[in-house]
Amino acid sequence: MIDLIVFLSLLALGYGVGTWAEKRHYHSIAEREKTTINLPAVTLKSVDIPEHKIRSAQLVHGSAVISVDYFKRILASLRNIFGGNVKSYESLLDRARREALLRMKEMAGDATVIVNVRIETAAIGKQSGRKNVGCLEAMAYGTALTVEE
Amino acid sequence: MKFTPRQPGINVNVTPTHPLKELAILAGGLLTIVVGVYLALGLAVDLMVPRLSMELEKKLAGAFIGKIVETEPVAGTTRYLQALVDRLQDRCAPLPYTITVHVKASDAVNAAALPGGHMVVFTGLLAEMASENELAFVLAHELGHYAHRDHLRGLGRALVLMTASTVLLGADNSINNMIGQGMVLTELSFSRKQETQADEFALETLFCHYGHVADATSFFSKIPKDGDPGRFGHYFASHPENRRRIGHLEDLARERGYPTGTPLPLPAELVFTNQPS
Repeated sequence: MIDLIVFLSLLALGYGVGTWAEKRHYHSIAEREKTTINLPAVTLKSVDIPEHKIRSAQLVHGSAVISVDYFKRILASLRNIFGGNVKSYESLLDRARREALLRMKEMAGDATVIVNVRIETAAIGKQSGRKNVGCLEAMAYGTALTVEE
Repeated sequence: MKFTPRQPGINVNVTPTHPLKELAILAGGLLTIVVGVYLALGLAVDLMVPRLSMELEKKLAGAFIGKIVETEPVAGTTRYLQALVDRLQDRCAPLPYTITVHVKASDAVNAAALPGGHMVVFTGLLAEMASENELAFVLAHELGHYAHRDHLRGLGRALVLMTASTVLLGADNSINNMIGQGMVLTELSFSRKQETQADEFALETLFCHYGHVADATSFFSKIPKDGDPGRFGHYFASHPENRRRIGHLEDLARERGYPTGTPLPLPAELVFTNQPS
């Protein structure tokens, strides 16, 4: 009985706090994406800029680690039984990738363009005993080019 | 190509399903499956009981044995009851079981038929007995449950789990031990039809053994005079169900012409249980 109460409280806590945190994060992501929209981050390996015009080229990267909440984990473990899209983890990955891109842009400062952008994802704490910590890291990296006016 | 900075209007990477809706669908589906399995287990009991072999039943008994052995043996009483059951079984109730009688110290006015032919008689029952015939009726009633294998049906869904785990994991597995430990002996439940059949079996056995059916219903009718109704398991007589059983037994005895005779007294070694402790 106590186990059930603990379980349900964690579930409610996970849902309540998790939803609140996610909403806040998405809000912040949307705001910052708007302010950094003029710094293009592209997957092209090169851009059509004459070499002498490029003042600097520099590696920039940004990473974000996001943890899964209890509610999402239960939802995902139910999904593990039936199969199908693990919808509860989708927003997690989306947030991590977009946050990583934003941090990468932040690192680039007043660069003109970031080329050759790649995004990597890694799970953290997967093997830490039986209790799955269940964090994921998204890392974005690329080459920031600053072009002379 | 000119680069035009703009934000995508929609987020294609996140499914817009509400998480609570998803939880409801998944948890609901799982619950439906669990309930379905539970109901199927209930149906499986009746299908399985007639097919369960004696050997397998003896293995199942292992889970309960430990519970019986723990209780203090009341050697004289156990010997007497064993002899009585053997006599009943020998001449009048030939069953494919070797019945082993165990006496357990408990206030419960009850007896229980456990798998593998282990019959548990509670001292609370013995204390209420006034004659050998009365005791023989109760014991024959339990033999009746063995004859119809009600003791296996009484285990209910636990039986299906125990059988499956015994076949798959062997006789001494954790599932069986868990069920065996969790089961309260007096809680084995029988349906009204099963009780009636066992009563009829007991009446026939009593007539066959003694030549008369004296004291066959006395246990039922005696209890309410001096009993705490809450404690008397399925023998409690003021319950309408038991009035019906008394009536049924009396009708049956009249119909078949079973005479009443003089009941035999209980031997002295049993009398000590009548003393308030």
